[in-house]
Order: sequence, then C-alpha cells, then structure tokens
Amino acid sequence: MRILLAEDDPMLGDGLRAGLRQQGFQVDWVRDGLAAERELASGVYAAGVLDLGLPLKDGLDVLAQLRERGTATPVLVLTARDAVPERIRGLDLGADDYVLKPVDLHELGARLRALVRRADGRVQDSLRWGEVVLEPSARQVSRAGAPVALSMREFDLLHALMRSAGRVLTREQLEQQLYSWGHEVESNAIEVHVHHLRRKLPPELIQTVRGVGYTVPREREPN
Amino acid sequence: MRHSLQARLLALVLGLVTAVWLGAALMTWRDARHELDELLDGHLTQAAALLVVQQTGELEEEEHVDAPSLHKYAPRVAFQVFHEGRLVLHSAQAGVTPMAGIGSGFATVRLEDGMEWRVFAARGAQRDVQIYVGEQTASRRAILRAVLRSVLWPLLIALPLLALAGWWAVRHGLRPLHQLSQALARRRPDALEPVALVDLPAEMEPLVRALNDLLERISHMLDAERRFTADAAHELRTPIAAIRAQAQVALGAGEDAAGRRHALQATLAGCDRAAHLVEQLLTLARLEAAPAQPALALDLSELARRVLAELAPTALARRQQLALEVAGPCRVAGQELLLAVLLRNLVDNALRYSPDGATVRVSVSTQGGQAVLVVEDSGPGLAPADLQRLGERFYRPPGQTQSGSGLGWSIVRRIAQVSGARIELGRSPPLGGLAVTVRWPQAAAD
Repeated sequence: MRILLAEDDPMLGDGLRAGLRQQGFQVDWVRDGLAAERELASGVYAAGVLDLGLPLKDGLDVLAQLRERGTATPVLVLTARDAVPERIRGLDLGADDYVLKPVDLHELGARLRALVRRADGRVQDSLRWGEVVLEPSARQVSRAGAPVALSMREFDLLHALMRSAGRVLTREQLEQQLYSWGHEVESNAIEVHVHHLRRKLPPELIQTVRGVGYTVPREREPN
Repeated sequence: MRHSLQARLLALVLGLVTAVWLGAALMTWRDARHELDELLDGHLTQAAALLVVQQTGELEEEEHVDAPSLHKYAPRVAFQVFHEGRLVLHSAQAGVTPMAGIGSGFATVRLEDGMEWRVFAARGAQRDVQIYVGEQTASRRAILRAVLRSVLWPLLIALPLLALAGWWAVRHGLRPLHQLSQALARRRPDALEPVALVDLPAEMEPLVRALNDLLERISHMLDAERRFTADAAHELRTPIAAIRAQAQVALGAGEDAAGRRHALQATLAGCDRAAHLVEQLLTLARLEAAPAQPALALDLSELARRVLAELAPTALARRQQLALEVAGPCRVAGQELLLAVLLRNLVDNALRYSPDGATVRVSVSTQGGQAVLVVEDSGPGLAPADLQRLGERFYRPPGQTQSGSGLGWSIVRRIAQVSGARIELGRSPPLGGLAVTVRWPQAAAD
C-alpha cells in the first residue's frame, strides 16, 4: 500500500517513513502543506498521514480543501495538538482518524490498514479469493491453509489487485501503487511479478485484460 | 491587634468628640469663673458699701457685736468693721485681726484659719471706718466645680452611647467594603473576571478599578502562561515522537544493520534535541521568573571570544567559517551569564540555519558611546514577514531542515530587554544573509 506522509519535522518524518516501510508500506514523504495537498489530490495513495502544523499551509486547511474537492483518500491526522475542540474540528473537517504524537509505529500501521479497509468497504482485514487468503497485517498469503512465499513486490501487487477485485487495473495504476518515489520501475516489472504470482497461486486468480491491464475477478457466488 | 479601619474610625470620632467637649468644658469653666468672680466681687463691694453706709448712721456707741450665722454659707463669708482702729463689728467667722491692709480694694489672702479668702476692703469717706468683707475662695471653686460637673457629666453618659452609635454608623458606612471583601472571598481562585462597578460608593470606585486592572493583568499573564505550557508540551511531543519512532525502527530493523545504525543515531540526535529544547525552556522560564539583577561591567570582546571558541567545533563539522572581529576591549554593563546565553543563541542560530560551508561573522565594536555586537551570516536570510515573527515563542520560519526549538529568539529578546539592549534585524550587505545587530549603552570605563 502506498501512503503519503506529510510531516515537517526531519527526524520524526524519517522515523515514521522507516517504520512504515518496515511494515511493508510504500511511503512518500512531503514536508509542507502545499505538497501534501497536491499529492493527496492525485489519488494514487491508499491513505495519508497528515501533520497539522505544516509550513506553507496548515494541515487542517489542506484537509478542508481536499474534502471540498471531493478527494476521498482516507487521511489520518497525526499531531501534537491534543485539545478536544481541535480533535473535533479535525474529524469534522474530514479526517478519518486523529492520532496524538508520540505514536506506536505498529499502531499507526494498523490504523492505516483499518482506514484503507473501511474505505474499501470491507469489515475483515484478510482478503479471500477461493482458497487463497491474503492477510495485510501479517503480510502473509496462504493457499488452502499453506503459506505461500511471496516477494515484497509480489505481495503488494496481489494486495492491490485483490483490494480492487472485479475492477481492472492498468499497468500504470499498478506501478503507481507499488512504487514510491525514487524507485526505478523497469518497463516489464509488472509482467514479471504477475508471471511469478501465477506460478505460485491458482493461475485463474489474476486475469489479463488484453491491452488494458490485470484483474482479480469477483468471487463467484457459492452455489 | 490587627489594624482595623472600623476601630480607627471609631477611635477618631470618639476622640474628636471628647476633645471638642473637653474644649467646650474648659471654655465654659473659664467663662464661668470670670463671670462668677465679677458677680461675687460685685456682691462683696455691694456688701461693703452697705456696711459703710450703715456705719455712718449708727455706731455712735462703741459696740461689739457678733453677727449671727444665718445660712449654711455663712461660715464662708465674713466681715469686720473697724472704727478708729478698733474692731467694732464682725461676723462669727471673722477673726479679730484685720483681714487685709488699710485702704480699699480687693485682695486674696490666707487667714489664720488656714483658708484662702477673697477680701474687699473699704474705707468710710467721712469717718474713720475700715470695713472688710471676705468670702472663702473655696466656695467659688465649689460653684465652678458644680458648673464643670454639669458640663462633663453628660459627656460621661453620652460617650458610651456615642461609641455604640458610632460603631453602628461606621459599620453601616463600611458595608460596601465588607460586601466587596465577601464577594472576593467567595470567588473561585481562577475567577478573574472584573468586579462589577454598579452601586459602588465613589470612594471605592478607584480601588475597585485598580483591582479590576490588576485582575485583568493577572488574567493576561495566566493566559500567556497557559499558552506557553501548551506550546511547550506541544513542542516536546514532536522530538519525543521522533525518538520513539526511531527507536522502534531500530528495534524492527532485523537484518538491516545500516538501517538500524541510522535509526539509533537518529534516536541519539533526538535525545540531544529534546535536551536542548528542555534547556532552552528552562533558560526562558528562569529569565521570565527572575527580575533583573545588578549589572556588572564586563568585556564583550572577551565574552564573544569565549562563546565562539565553544561553538567552533560545530562550525568546523559543517565546514563553516566562523570569524570574530574585535577592535579591542568593549565594556558593557550586564550579567555575564545572560550575555553569554544571548551570544551563544545568536551565533548558534546563524550556524544552524546557514548551509554547509557558509560564513558566520561576529564583530564587536564601539560606536558613538554604544557597544555594538553584529552577528551576520551568508545563509539564505529571512523574508520581511518572517523577520517580524521572529521572537514569537516556538515560531520557526518555514522550510527549516535543521531541528531547532523555536525558543532561541524569545530568549535573545528577553535578555536584550533585561540588559537594556536594542536589537535590529536586517540583511548583511557583505555576506548576503541575516544580520543581527545588538546595541548596548556603554558602561563607564573602570
């Protein structure tokens, strides 16, 4: 999952980015309000972590502007401002979660996964397709109960497709979701990962829509 | 006993009443004595004249008559009639020796009975008759005492009554004061809204106004303190969050040795930063709490040299040029500790917010009787809007990559204020970055 981190403090931003990466998130880090607004509006992020005291534009203004323009990307506000009216204002302006500094990195990860899950309209953390089960929190995939070893990119690719089951994702969309800034994407990377996934999992799980992209078909209703 | 306005008012009123009354009594007494003397002396002359007239007709025969005592006052009056040197008539009270000398007129004498007498002597015009009419002065005093008593008695009775009435009146008059103190006592300790000014006696309005002013100032101060505490907590949260995040990253680094090392270094740096912030907060708190202490003359050049020597390693680590220009000793009045903190903050700011390889120049000089310290750098400088906001607590200009507390300027401004210095901010013409000029009135050379 690709996350946008908006935090102006160099040391905290660095720590949050590293901590979220350890949990398998792809993290892009911006340090001011204008960049945060621009990037979150792009729609490539599964969720955003937004500090409020940002230079150039305050986090709450960023949030208000985003929601006004109809951007639905879940936003977790991470701030040192703990006054209850502030929290209420943040939530009312469209924050999906409001977390006080300092925060446990694992809790932050779990909250982000929960935000994405709710945004996807699911109630369970794990994603299921036939006998294939993907658990985002544990970053594990099993097939008929037996764990399947996947690389980080393979897991992210499968996660992206299973989250959007029934929808076709283009190669560009997949690349955007898999690679944070500064990662060189080879032209056939997605094809290579899909190829590997098909070898490890049921081949009919990922289907190619020629000339458009890939999809995980919606599960057939059980007969 | 505690100083009581009520007791004081009461004592004043009663004291004044007593004094006025006593004054009146004194005047009555003097007046009465004067009038009494005139009246009784008049009676004496009258009596003497009667005796003289009587003697012209009678007393052909020599006759020794003792006049009888007819009245209880009789023992206090006496007369003697001498004819050709012989006592011919005298009252029971009078002795045989003449009460006064030959002649006519008033005299106050002490007779053989040991009493003081007021005596009027008169001489018959045609015959050799010498008449003395006397009256004990004690009887006059008795009358005077009676007059005085009649003036003073009412005072003795009235004084307690007056005290009671006065106590009630004072108490009643001071009721607004009492009500105010009760209203204040009933207040919660944090209730700082002004006291209502309606229905206040004119005398109390200045007091209540001053009280309201004070309450307002305290309220502002408390607000500032609350804001400061909130800001301080806020500012401490970020470095603590950073330390926590970095420590957790180090724990979860697993095989990634380089990542763990980086995170641990960041953790340490975070601790240094939190410590720096706490130190700055404490410095500021001490500065705001402690009133100005006596300033001593000290050499600014020498102080600058010491502070720069402390900071030189930081500058070297980032390949920054740190230069000091001094023209010679430069005396200013101030506290060495505070001025060192000011210098350190200014130079530290210049180093911190200038890029690697930048130049920071500190110069100390004397200009027109003022000691002038200039700290300038070749960094990016600041936009006028940001210059304005420098010195607000925790304000950090946007786009900072260096960690700072945002308190340095608050500290610098406060120290400047305490040591009577003026601060100017601007762009450094030779270096292009920020130039901070601090001017002190120069201390007299010793």
